Amino acid sequence: MKRSLFLLSSLLLLVACKKESAEPTTPTPEGFTTADVLNDFANHVAQDNYRDLAALSSGLQERIVAFGTSLSDADLTLCKQQWRDTRLSWERSEALLFGPVATENIDPRIDTWPVNFVDLEAQLSSGNLFTPAYITSLEDALKGFHPIEYLLFGANGDKTAAQFTTREIEYITALAADLVNLTGSLDQRWDPATANNYTTAFTTAGSGSTEYPTQRAAFEELVNAMAGICDEVANGKMGEVLLAQDPSMEESPFAKNSIIDFTNNIRGVENVYLGRYDADGNGMENFVRQHDLLLDNMIKQQLASSIIALGTITVPFGQAIIEQPVQVQQAIDAINLLATTLNDELMPLVQQHID
Amino acid sequence: MNAGMPRPQPSRWIIVLVCVLALTSCRKEPETWSASEEHPWASGGSQTVFDAGAGAFSHGFPQMSATADILHGIGDLQFEQTFVSAPAPVNPGLGPVFNSVSCTSCHIGDGRGKPPTAGEQPISMLFRLSVPGTDAFGGPAPAPGFGGQLQPRAIFGARPEAEVTLAWSEETVTLPDGEVVHLRMPHVSFNNPYTALPAGMLWSARVAPPVFGLGLLEAIAASDIRMKADEGDVNDDGISGKVNEVWDRVQHRTAVGRFGWKAEQPTLLQQSAAAYNEDMGVTNPLFMLESTHGQPQYDGLNDDGELTDSVLHAVAFYVRTLAVPARRNTDDPQVVRGEELFSAAKCDRCHTPEQHTAVNVAFPPVSNQRISPYSDLLLHDMGAALSDNRPTFRAEGTEWRTPPLWGIGLTQVVNGHQNFLHDGRARSLLEAVLWHGGEAQESANAVRSMTTAERQALLAFLGSL
Repeated sequence: MKRSLFLLSSLLLLVACKKESAEPTTPTPEGFTTADVLNDFANHVAQDNYRDLAALSSGLQERIVAFGTSLSDADLTLCKQQWRDTRLSWERSEALLFGPVATENIDPRIDTWPVNFVDLEAQLSSGNLFTPAYITSLEDALKGFHPIEYLLFGANGDKTAAQFTTREIEYITALAADLVNLTGSLDQRWDPATANNYTTAFTTAGSGSTEYPTQRAAFEELVNAMAGICDEVANGKMGEVLLAQDPSMEESPFAKNSIIDFTNNIRGVENVYLGRYDADGNGMENFVRQHDLLLDNMIKQQLASSIIALGTITVPFGQAIIEQPVQVQQAIDAINLLATTLNDELMPLVQQHID
Repeated sequence: MNAGMPRPQPSRWIIVLVCVLALTSCRKEPETWSASEEHPWASGGSQTVFDAGAGAFSHGFPQMSATADILHGIGDLQFEQTFVSAPAPVNPGLGPVFNSVSCTSCHIGDGRGKPPTAGEQPISMLFRLSVPGTDAFGGPAPAPGFGGQLQPRAIFGARPEAEVTLAWSEETVTLPDGEVVHLRMPHVSFNNPYTALPAGMLWSARVAPPVFGLGLLEAIAASDIRMKADEGDVNDDGISGKVNEVWDRVQHRTAVGRFGWKAEQPTLLQQSAAAYNEDMGVTNPLFMLESTHGQPQYDGLNDDGELTDSVLHAVAFYVRTLAVPARRNTDDPQVVRGEELFSAAKCDRCHTPEQHTAVNVAFPPVSNQRISPYSDLLLHDMGAALSDNRPTFRAEGTEWRTPPLWGIGLTQVVNGHQNFLHDGRARSLLEAVLWHGGEAQESANAVRSMTTAERQALLAFLGSL
């Protein structure tokens, strides 16, 4: 016993001064480089997400045009479903709120909440022609996802085809075209064929990128974006509304889509972490597993428990803040825990190992 | 029962000794700090954050209490809120005329605005208006029918005050080393006004400035700012530096102006309140009258103030507690050389590298910090080419407040552009430098005559800020 203690302490003395062994340089034993992670993020996660968003928006426009002609409830149902599908793609992309979506002011033009109801009603009762140029000139709270949602689903979420006025059809058709434009320009700005595209900002990080002079800067961007949307969901979209106990502050209330929105925000974080969109590529995950299996495990577990916690809320969010505050708070806590792990564990790991 | 004292075992002592040795054997001696060399990267003192990405300007102070953190978070959410036409369940009070619908739509990523591109109306840029003369407090006299600034957007039923057309003319400058730089000059016209523009109207273009680190600038003692002023250029170095004395609406007296391109606001509370009022048309405890009060488009609604006291204070607190991003590559030889050249060209005479905040027992997070804003917060004559010919309190047309340079190297990643100066005319840091005239003419000349390598080093230094 005593001998083993001596042995242990000698060992301690010997290892206490050992420096970290040099980091394996590229390529690593697992056969990927940090550049691969950035490549796969830009070329698969970001590009595919924005391509989907643009394609789904076009689909929404087509369905709205079809509904405008038929005015049938069947076509309206298809429009509503297409709105949800498009929304899914947008909410997932909110895990990457940097680059063109932010710098070119596209986010507020697509996704401003609340809707300016007074002006929206006034627009509908006016004789204004909803030309593309006129829609572009409108303020943000009159265009994008939420005015479309309000017009499609109605204030109580139960609008029928018979309730649509001609002006509403004209307006919603014009809004859909504007959404196609904006999501299209996002898609284009990430397309490697476009000059100054943002994919190249990532793929050349540390080797000529104007935005990211080092690979570390690009990795930090991803971690900050992941943690940022978690914070936004937990403390903004959910926490603020729960605290105020005010259902009118809920985002996406007409489609009763808020919980799905929140879940897709977390799914977006998961996509970035795993480097996965349609296909699975090299993600932040590969880098973390190389250095800290326990952390990788923890992040995955916290991603899962955030999504599970959101799943325990069984009524629309505006109702849940009154009827299921415990479940709402638990989801907030789970997502905040994930944000803390990303900020306090993942970020230092990135800063320690990536130059 | 064991009545006797336990006999000390020598082996146990040895183990303890070895453990202590193991723990201490690698400890380094603490390094000694000299005042001038301490933490060149810590631009915001202990409120410096390490993020060189799109969110670099958006972090709260890392060193403050949990309660302050929560208040910062509340202000953050309010900073992002979109205002809509009254009456509405959420955020009513927009307009009737306005520049923007939320704080964040101009201060994107808490960063810098830019002039509109061809065919666009300005989003993160506005135009201050006035007529010759002063108002009751010594500030610019509002333009009849338009007020203190042009609101080119309106809610339904009101008319935008005017449309802005921005055209550019270019001038080519060839530097002694052969480098060619194109400088563009803005030409502004106001079209289709809702009522006649007053004769002799003065105007001044302003892009939204970054909003981080301002709490630290607010914490610099007024006496420190005054001490650096040299209005008559007594020391005969060609550089004066003048304090703007502006009206403080809370204290009801004049105070040192610190914020805005002409140092026209004394506090962040008043800066935030003025922005709500003028930029969004949202009345608040400091500005209870609509920006359209006394004008044909006044809404006449009995709903002022549209913003509560607590929200206004939360937003001011949010801005006050936004941290400063750390410098990068401070020991890169090129950056170090650039810093020397910055000083040799006397840029540091106005872009003061080092400031100290006052001791503040009421709000310790900003107390007694060594910070590197690269500004003296004073007004300087910048020459005729940059003049807006529009006096603002004590600031004359050619005079501008030295804008802080901290974080300037992150403009591209945060805001996706490199447009600098009050109207965003410069499209790179070099263009911005070359526009410097007046008191800064000598410095601009020094940069012109640098060798290519020297100028690159200077720009590398600016990029590291």
